[in-house]
Amino acid sequence: MIVRTPAQTIGPFFHVGLKWEDGNQVALGSTGERIALTGHVYDGAGAVVTDALLETWQSDSDGNVPAPGSAAKVHGYSRTATNDDGRFSIETLMPGACRGPAGEAYAPQLHVMLFARGLLKAVRTRVFLAAPDAIKDDPLARAAGARVTTLIAAKDAKDPKVWRWDVRLQGKDETVFIED
Amino acid sequence: MSASDRIEIDPPYDYPPYKSTALRAPKQSLIRIAPHPLEMAGPSFPKAFVEESDADLTTWGKGAPLGEKMILVGRVTDEDGGPVRNSLVELWQCNASGRYAHPVDQHDAPLDPNFLGQGKVLTDSEGAYRFVTVKPGAYPWKNHPWAWRPAHIHLSLFGNAYAQRLITQVFFPGDPLLPIDPVFNSVSNEAARQRMVCSLDLEQGVEEVALGYRFDIVLRGANATPMGV
Repeated sequence: MIVRTPAQTIGPFFHVGLKWEDGNQVALGSTGERIALTGHVYDGAGAVVTDALLETWQSDSDGNVPAPGSAAKVHGYSRTATNDDGRFSIETLMPGACRGPAGEAYAPQLHVMLFARGLLKAVRTRVFLAAPDAIKDDPLARAAGARVTTLIAAKDAKDPKVWRWDVRLQGKDETVFIED
Repeated sequence: MSASDRIEIDPPYDYPPYKSTALRAPKQSLIRIAPHPLEMAGPSFPKAFVEESDADLTTWGKGAPLGEKMILVGRVTDEDGGPVRNSLVELWQCNASGRYAHPVDQHDAPLDPNFLGQGKVLTDSEGAYRFVTVKPGAYPWKNHPWAWRPAHIHLSLFGNAYAQRLITQVFFPGDPLLPIDPVFNSVSNEAARQRMVCSLDLEQGVEEVALGYRFDIVLRGANATPMGV
């Protein structure tokens, strides 16, 4: 087997090359329930990370792989940099639940990849957009045990379209990350 | 390929010589689970996502940028040798003086009004890509005393599956700064480290105009993970 190319850090200057116009607004080419996901990224000292790049990938509302992109738009994928407050916000459609090849029950979720200065390779995780009792059969929820709470987004008390979820790279309540 | 083999190819999260890892590297063990069905697929970028001019970083301004003009060519394949077709490759870099067109970069080197330092292309039916640019300069940073980053170009790749997503850096052969760069040396496997060094390939250049460099990229393959992504 050929040696694969290793990952390297994105560094602090990625905005030069990786900005997508309306990158935080997911196009899907299908219909569904409009939602937003917003939160902050924190480091091990509890400081906000103001130079992270967050990407998400998701199914459409029926739980299927999104249809290929059209015109100049990619489907099902978002990219957004954290701002000076360490905050990100994306707008999308609620992903559907789906089944894996062995019949596993996957709850509605977004796949999340986060790049930053100080991360020599991206961290990968998933965020659940469902109530805690609706995810208990999901393979990741089972594998994460008590730490699954770090992967569950919370519905905003005032606006039910908005889900809140923070990423903690290190320290107390460190987010569960997945081996790739 | 086992998980431990993969760790040897990619750098670790916790790598003290690169100081910024201290507060950002996860400390808990990563969870190992079978891939979700969506991870075996990936975003599909339509042709119109890139324009032809996006591949030439030297035509962005009113005139030519300063520096040594170069062509970067390569092929994107997976570990099994198959071409990675119609896949997005994005590039960013500093100018020939070592300065990024970015507000956070305030070090004492000039901006070039004719150079922004961003490009993107889709790989062709053979997995090949080609950029026209100028060779980036080295620049100082504050990681340790006398720290300078070797000349490098950042590349972002999507592959054909989410599991193949990669961001890496391209280094230049014979650069005397390579042995002191903690980012480059965070990759402990020698063969993997050499994967990040491009090679001079004169005939890929343009005679009397631009030097040619080749940088082939290998993404994770179909048999690459224990879970069979």
